[in-house]
Amino acid sequence: MAERALRIPERIEEITEPEELERLYQQLCEEERTVEAELESFVNQKGSIAAKMIALQRMGPNLQLIEGDASQLSGMIKFTCNLAENVSSKVRQLDLAKNRIYQAIQRADDILDLKFCMDGVQTALRNEDYEQAAAHVHRYLSLDQSVIELSRQGGEDSMLDTNLSLLQEAEQHLKVIVAEKLDQAIKEGDLPQVERFFKIFPLLGLHEEGLGRFSQYLCTQLASKAAQNLQLAMGVELSEARAALVFADTLTLLFEGIARVVETHQPIVETYYGPGRLYTLIKHLQVECDRQAEKVVDKFIERRTYHRKFQVVQNNMMRNSSERIEPRELDPILTEVTLMNARAELYLRFLRRRITSDFEVADSAAPEGITQEHQKSLEKLLNDCLLSRNMQELIGYYITMEEYFMKETVNKAVAMDTYEKGQLTSSMVDDCFYIVKKCIGRALSSSSIDCLCAMINHATSVLESDFREVLFNKLRQGFPATTLQDIQRGVSSAVSLMQSSLQQGKFDTKGIESSEEAKTSFLVTLNNVEVCSENIMTLKRTLENDCAKLFSQGSGKGDQARAKIDSCLSDLVAVSSKFKDLLQEGLTELNTTAIKPQVKPWITSLLSISHNIEEEEFNEYEANDPWVQQFIVSLEQLTTEFKAGLSSVIYDNLTSLITSLIATELEKTVFKSIFSRLGGLQFDKELRSLIAYLTTITTWTIRDKFARLTQMATILNLERVTEILDYWGPNSGPLTWRLTPAEVRQVLALRIDFRSEDIKRLRL
Amino acid sequence: MDSGKLHISVPVSRNRVISKLPKWYTPESCLQFKEDFHGKVKGACQNRHTRSGGLNISKVVVVGDLYVGKTCLINRFCKDVFDRDYKATIGVDFEIERFEIAGVPHTLQIWDTAGQEKFKCIASAYYRGAQVIVTVFDLADIKTLEHTRQWLQDALKENENTSPNIFLVGTKRDLLSPAECERTENDAIRIASEMQAEYWSVSAKTGQNVQEFFFRMAALAFEESMLRELENSSLSTARIGEANVIRIDENAEAPQSKRTAEPGLGCC
Ligand SMILES: Nc1nc2c(ncn2[C@@H]2O[C@H](COP(=O)(O)OP(=O)(O)OP(=O)(O)O)[C@@H](O)[C@H]2O)c(=O)[nH]1
Ligand SMILES: [Mg+2]
Repeated sequence: MAERALRIPERIEEITEPEELERLYQQLCEEERTVEAELESFVNQKGSIAAKMIALQRMGPNLQLIEGDASQLSGMIKFTCNLAENVSSKVRQLDLAKNRIYQAIQRADDILDLKFCMDGVQTALRNEDYEQAAAHVHRYLSLDQSVIELSRQGGEDSMLDTNLSLLQEAEQHLKVIVAEKLDQAIKEGDLPQVERFFKIFPLLGLHEEGLGRFSQYLCTQLASKAAQNLQLAMGVELSEARAALVFADTLTLLFEGIARVVETHQPIVETYYGPGRLYTLIKHLQVECDRQAEKVVDKFIERRTYHRKFQVVQNNMMRNSSERIEPRELDPILTEVTLMNARAELYLRFLRRRITSDFEVADSAAPEGITQEHQKSLEKLLNDCLLSRNMQELIGYYITMEEYFMKETVNKAVAMDTYEKGQLTSSMVDDCFYIVKKCIGRALSSSSIDCLCAMINHATSVLESDFREVLFNKLRQGFPATTLQDIQRGVSSAVSLMQSSLQQGKFDTKGIESSEEAKTSFLVTLNNVEVCSENIMTLKRTLENDCAKLFSQGSGKGDQARAKIDSCLSDLVAVSSKFKDLLQEGLTELNTTAIKPQVKPWITSLLSISHNIEEEEFNEYEANDPWVQQFIVSLEQLTTEFKAGLSSVIYDNLTSLITSLIATELEKTVFKSIFSRLGGLQFDKELRSLIAYLTTITTWTIRDKFARLTQMATILNLERVTEILDYWGPNSGPLTWRLTPAEVRQVLALRIDFRSEDIKRLRL
Repeated sequence: MDSGKLHISVPVSRNRVISKLPKWYTPESCLQFKEDFHGKVKGACQNRHTRSGGLNISKVVVVGDLYVGKTCLINRFCKDVFDRDYKATIGVDFEIERFEIAGVPHTLQIWDTAGQEKFKCIASAYYRGAQVIVTVFDLADIKTLEHTRQWLQDALKENENTSPNIFLVGTKRDLLSPAECERTENDAIRIASEMQAEYWSVSAKTGQNVQEFFFRMAALAFEESMLRELENSSLSTARIGEANVIRIDENAEAPQSKRTAEPGLGCC
């Protein structure tokens, strides 16, 4: 607006257009009106402003009153504040004074104590009251060193100095005496005295030394007991019950002895040395444990000729040695080694538990770093001790020997395979799994996850390579097709065959027998394969349970160990499915080479039975079944043989294959035949009988397999071509057609009485 | 078997995603010169969602003399740590690494075996079923390179029927001058080609080439396993419905020839 007001007079001369002038004039008038209105409203406000001014003037005197009150209040506050400051500074001074007094009292007490200690220690030493003396020294050691310094600066320095040096002397003296006395007590094996002096060490600040000397005592005890036990073990007669486990037992005694020592002495250590010291004690004991365990292990290796056996086994495995070792010979020693390892693991777990909980008490308030440091030294102690290393070495050898044991024994079981009539499987399956379970079970009993995993891997190899190979080779020999004729003809024909052979003067039973054998062998092998795949799954489940137990006892390193086991077990499971594949392939082989050549002619014989028939022939067929009854009888004969020889699961599989085969072949045959109306009806009857029979021999539903044929029979049964439309497309209802439109036409064309024009015209 | 069982569907971490086939270390010793995954594999990966998921685990076995740095190499990759102190591996250790390769989850199961002689019996029990064998030597200790032949031979003995991918890895590269390194590498590459192995020089201490190596190995193992799966699934579809293809007779293929495409008892 201001801008416009300025610009207008400047440009007023320049304005030439009357419209422009008019517009500006209008604008100015507008502005004038607005200003007038504003002025009006200001004038109107005058009254109310005047009223407010009057009110303000009235308030004037009141304000003066308030100001006076306020300055008075401020004065009072200032005064109170000063007063408070004065009081509190006095309180502070009092506090300081009180603290100083306390310190003074404390110091006086300390000095008194110090004096008391000085006197007391001498007397106690004179009286050989070492506990008392140590208590005095302990008191002295726990005094604030600055107190002693300060006391020195005090007046009676020479006196105090002599006393102090006497006290220090007494301390040194006491240390020597206590050490000597403890050593002497140890030498004499005097437990009460040992414990007496052991308790004094921490009072003198000699925790480590005390524990060291005490452990030395305990170690001597352990060593002599261990030597005795080993001596006894060496004298054990071979005939004695546990002779085969004598080294494992000796090791167990050693571990139990140490565990007992820990149990007995942990309370004293805890009480007199405080928590967190058990680690030191056990570290000392472990040295002796290592020494003694090694002696046992060495003797074990020597007496059981462990290394030599390993050598022979290794040479055998590499096939570069003629010297053999009977797996049976290894059996006891393998059991003993795993037991030894299990005992060692148990013992180490015990130590871990004890030390961990002791550290936990001691480190409850300690910083993270200390806790980790402790954890680290614990791991180092347990993992790097000679005992662990010795055991690892034994287990290393064990695994190779166990692998050899398993392989050799499995091979033997295969070689000695026998089959008893009436059984489905032969002996080698049970035998092999017995062996595999035994070996894995033994590895499991060692409590070492690595060892267990290693054996599971070896078992997987043996089952997959060695054992499956054997079954595979047996199946590869095939099912002898020739014998099937014998089966088909039954016993009577076999007899006639024999007679004819006899008449010809050459009777070769061997041929019949060996093919009979080959046949049985094939079926038994199929059963074997199936049982194997089942057994592997069972084995896996059992192992899972066993491992869960092992983990719950705290073996292994948790998740990682679990993952290892899972991985090894899944490899094992993979072998089970390889057996399943083998079974399927064996069955397919049986079906194609043995069953198909038999069944196919039976089906194609349908071609020689005319289905282009009239009433008369239809009735004739009714009275004298031309095909299906004979077919069913033949099938029955064929399957009975397999039903007896195969497990129900495999038999089921086989019948499923057979029904599929029949369905396919029959369909082909039907497409090669021709039908009249009654012929179609005849076929429908035949198909129904066949399906009814097949339903009885298999537990699978066969409706589905025969769906196409059933639909073909329906078509062949139609009155007229167009009748198909009652069943087709939107009229099909619940029926799902398995035939394509082209196939429907093809089937319709099989009816000689249907005209091909009608079929062509059909809209499908 | 239900191969999906071991694959726990934890999301794969972002730094374990491989989208292209990683490159080799040196063309003089390399198992695969392709720039990208096999066409069939790529195709299969794309319509992966329609598949139930096959064997998505590869087993890797790491062997070599003691102190060559096997454990350090694995720890550098799996945990990104390096420990100067030597802690001998006892028996075997085990790590699982999950990858996503070309959009498909794949897991490496890495078995770290002990190099010490006394653990050989236990460690060798874990060689079987390996898809990848990594033979490790110390670039600064030439005799460990010579020993790799024996290590490989032992590991291959347990895998006679399959042909695992082989890698030869020289460690502790940080300890050598470039000239020394080149000299040893030349020897190593010669041995690698005898072994039909792919060669890599790495340092666990600095981390040089460690990730590159593991990615390359994972990708090749993945491709192998996909190809194998594709082959198997085409075999099994051939089997269904065409029963007469399968025939067992005296002249049937021996089971050793695992890679022959011919179906039969030998094919499993
Ligand atoms: N400078 C350097 N040192 C390494 C490297 N890798 C490993 N080391 C060191 O070599 C030593 C042995 O490493 P490990 O990985 O424990 O050896 P390993 O092969 O697992 O040995 P075993 O378990 O006994 O078979 C350790 O002291 C490592 O610190 C590396 O890349 N550079
Ligand atoms: Mg290692």
